[in-house]
Amino acid sequence: MSAAKKGFTPRVARKHVGGYRPRIDGMEKASGRALYADDIASPIRFPNLLYAKVLRSPHAHARIRRLDAARARALPGVAAVLAFDDQEVARLPPTNAGWTDGVDTVSYEHMMWRQYRDRRVLGDTACWVGDEIGAVVAAESEAVAEEALRALDVEWEILPFVLDLFEAMKPGAPAVHPGIAPDNVLPPATAGRPDRFFDKGDIDRGLAEAEVKVEGTSIHHNATQASLDPWCCVAAWSDDRLTIWSNSYEAEQSRMHVSQMLELPIHKVRIVSSYVGGQFGRCDTGDQPFFLFTALLARRTGRPVKFKHTRRESFHDSRQPAIYHGVAAAMRDGTITSLSFDCVGNAGAYADHTMFPLKLIPAEVSEVVFAHVPNVRFQVRAVYTNKLPGCMMRGVGNSQLNLILGHLVDLLAEKLGMDPLELAVKNFGHQWEELPDRSLEAVLEAGASRIGWRAKRHAPGAGPVFGEDGRRGVGFSFHPGWHAEWQEMRRGEVQAAITLNPDGTVTLNAPTVETGTGSNTCNVLGCAEALAFLDLRPADIHWVQVVDSDSGMKDCVQTDSAVSYLQSEVMAAAAKELKARILERGAKVIGCPAGELDVAGGRIFRTAAPDGGLAVRDLLMRPDILPITVTMSRRPEDKRTGVPYIATFAEVEVDTGTGRVQVLHLAVVNDCGTVMYASGAEAQQIGGQCMGMGEALTEEIIYDKATGVPLNFNWIDYTIPTMADMPDIDPVLLEVWRGAGEYGACGISEGTVTCTPRAILNAIYNAIGVRLDEIPVKPEKVLRALGKA
Amino acid sequence: MPATQRTRRRSAANPADRPIRLTVNGTRYELVPGLNLPTSMTLAAFLRERLGYTGLKVSCDEGACGACTVLLDGTAVLSCMMLAVEADGHEVLTIEGLPPDDPVIQAFAEQSEPGYGTALQCGYCTPGFVMTARALLNENPSPSLPEIKEALSGNICRCGCYAGIAQAVLNASRKMAARASVRGDAAARGGAR
Repeated sequence: MSAAKKGFTPRVARKHVGGYRPRIDGMEKASGRALYADDIASPIRFPNLLYAKVLRSPHAHARIRRLDAARARALPGVAAVLAFDDQEVARLPPTNAGWTDGVDTVSYEHMMWRQYRDRRVLGDTACWVGDEIGAVVAAESEAVAEEALRALDVEWEILPFVLDLFEAMKPGAPAVHPGIAPDNVLPPATAGRPDRFFDKGDIDRGLAEAEVKVEGTSIHHNATQASLDPWCCVAAWSDDRLTIWSNSYEAEQSRMHVSQMLELPIHKVRIVSSYVGGQFGRCDTGDQPFFLFTALLARRTGRPVKFKHTRRESFHDSRQPAIYHGVAAAMRDGTITSLSFDCVGNAGAYADHTMFPLKLIPAEVSEVVFAHVPNVRFQVRAVYTNKLPGCMMRGVGNSQLNLILGHLVDLLAEKLGMDPLELAVKNFGHQWEELPDRSLEAVLEAGASRIGWRAKRHAPGAGPVFGEDGRRGVGFSFHPGWHAEWQEMRRGEVQAAITLNPDGTVTLNAPTVETGTGSNTCNVLGCAEALAFLDLRPADIHWVQVVDSDSGMKDCVQTDSAVSYLQSEVMAAAAKELKARILERGAKVIGCPAGELDVAGGRIFRTAAPDGGLAVRDLLMRPDILPITVTMSRRPEDKRTGVPYIATFAEVEVDTGTGRVQVLHLAVVNDCGTVMYASGAEAQQIGGQCMGMGEALTEEIIYDKATGVPLNFNWIDYTIPTMADMPDIDPVLLEVWRGAGEYGACGISEGTVTCTPRAILNAIYNAIGVRLDEIPVKPEKVLRALGKA
Repeated sequence: MPATQRTRRRSAANPADRPIRLTVNGTRYELVPGLNLPTSMTLAAFLRERLGYTGLKVSCDEGACGACTVLLDGTAVLSCMMLAVEADGHEVLTIEGLPPDDPVIQAFAEQSEPGYGTALQCGYCTPGFVMTARALLNENPSPSLPEIKEALSGNICRCGCYAGIAQAVLNASRKMAARASVRGDAAARGGAR
């Protein structure tokens, strides 16, 4: 590990925001006292608890002809069996796991992907091995519930299946959802735009004008989120009111989902979420079938029912795989005249959010990053198969797109004989700024300096040899940041309530489910900063941790990495209102117009006599003692600020004898606009590499092609990097770009995984002089590329 | 007649009823497998669901992630890979059994040194890491970075806070040394008096 590291220097010195300090939940989590759903759903808290287990299809594609639950029901300890043909299940409407991407709360009617209502809750048809279908049981223990599943007498009609997306597009291939996509190709959806969803200028003219042309392919796969905290919930009824404690990260959306699917009035549903052990985009919506069947079992038995996925069952959805083919053309001076991307994605068994990464993200990114390229075209097809569904995952869509973008930049630079850094700066920016883009320049310069780009970069495969077969190389990739405030408009109002207690302490209700992002610490720092006139320490602020839909406030969902600053922006506004309320109260006590008073340093005083006055807490402690609560809602600003840039630089060593790739060093650079909480931001930069490097080198879901059975739904064979695998990582925080609002910040955490796979692939090319198109780069792929296997 | 003797007499007639005795965080428990302790219950389930020690987490339930790590006679074990009955005659320490000022807990909570990030984010893996680090430091009070990486590579942190965790363990080691030195000084002063 390198010598003492240096922190970043903020652009604007602030007392609290931007600092290096421990997380506010550090002690609670480090001591094991933090409570997660599985801890709450304990038989000690719910002595009458039942355990639910759901039937999973052993077949890749099959229909239940007949299901007899008599033997299961007769087992001692079985409290209930609910099957697909029970009235309360059969009446549930067809649905989709993509109601919302999390930013907004939506109803059934307005769900995001309403043309792909391809899921039945406990339906009779299985579309992949592991599909939750047919029946669910509640029993006195998990073991009895599992035994009851084995006692179900199921007669399957086994249907032909297809795993490969190119096979799935051939005439006569088995149709996974014939009613929606007879040829398996997902039809254009309302929110998904047509197949050719981005078409600017004239690609053909751009190609004809160009002097240099390159093309390449990149293949991204089904990495999985692998949150440590398995999905879990406990459902309990009190008369006709349902409460679900869960590790859903969307309390308000979950309430809407449960209310609409079970036809319950909203006030009869309560959702409570405590700490969540990692989210990373897993099944990104409140729409989870197990909330529904767990609630139905609890109603039928009159007892609280718990449902928890096993680790194997937690391989529930994944990053959306994407095969991109790209063509880039340019003039000899490096001016890019045309870019075109043709993408095909294996959606797996359900459409869920497939079109979000494949269409919405590239469209949004293209409008910004390709603003100065005259001719750009994207087209995409997504295809149903009988595999694990692709959905949301940290860096959604961006990771797949970056794998081809960074490839084309590297290919084109090589053909032009240019430094790829120079090529990037020459062409990419955003539509509200002239080139070169200062943010892009800054992140590339910082990354290049940290990795030693100019000293270490050599002709492909021409570097020095280390040991017997070790070849080293450096590579990088860059991407626009994610998300600036104007990109959060769809979220609607963000809410926060600040309560000033009579003793001068503060209770902060800025509802968001804490999934680990550190936005809770950002919130407390933002609140202390906004309430500077009260001279508060962060320790004087209590952040309300448990999100309870009964609070009447909408939780700001941990998506787009935007909660870190969106809630602080609300607090900046709420603080002004709070100050006005203190002045009003002061006016009555001091006996002068509020306009003649001010508050600073925790004291209220006449502006004419700043040395007099009284402490705010002395004011508040007067009868009648009442806390002051300010609840504020604020819509994200639509100010078009463009986006900042991010980049990852990698140095690798490839063993040309064994094919092993070792990452030696990573530099992760984020222009944040404003760093809200430096230690948390660096934790995200470093932490993202566990996922980015895993996706690039080791993580992969493997299927038995003959049966469609996934073979490695466990953490021995699905290999997540551990401490021993991780290289030295340099987190670099910059404040160059500026967004809207008080802070002008941008989300960073999703993006930290985005550039890593491509940076590593480009470094591998620099090391060995042979390009690999497909991740994960396992040793056999390297040996094959080198002609050794 | 004391309860233990009564139990013993019955177990002689039925060996399956032989009670097991274990200590968890200093409290002694006596249980009869098959009677008030299912023989197939893992130590993790026993600690969490019977005793309410929910600090340890069951994330993979198959020995792959380390989130359920507890100490058995001072050594780190995966409580999901052990049956509760196997703890017979042993002392179990869960994270709740560590003192609030334990240097490892403090170092994990406090880590914010520039360049390394925090030692935890979602916190789900943290109790497992803390206990594994605790066991390492029991055995080797001043480990090197490679030794830390080796000892903690059986634990997964999906938030990827490995750099911050390594710093926390180094800092915990320093805290322990500083406290030992204060104690040493105090003892030396006591001796001189």
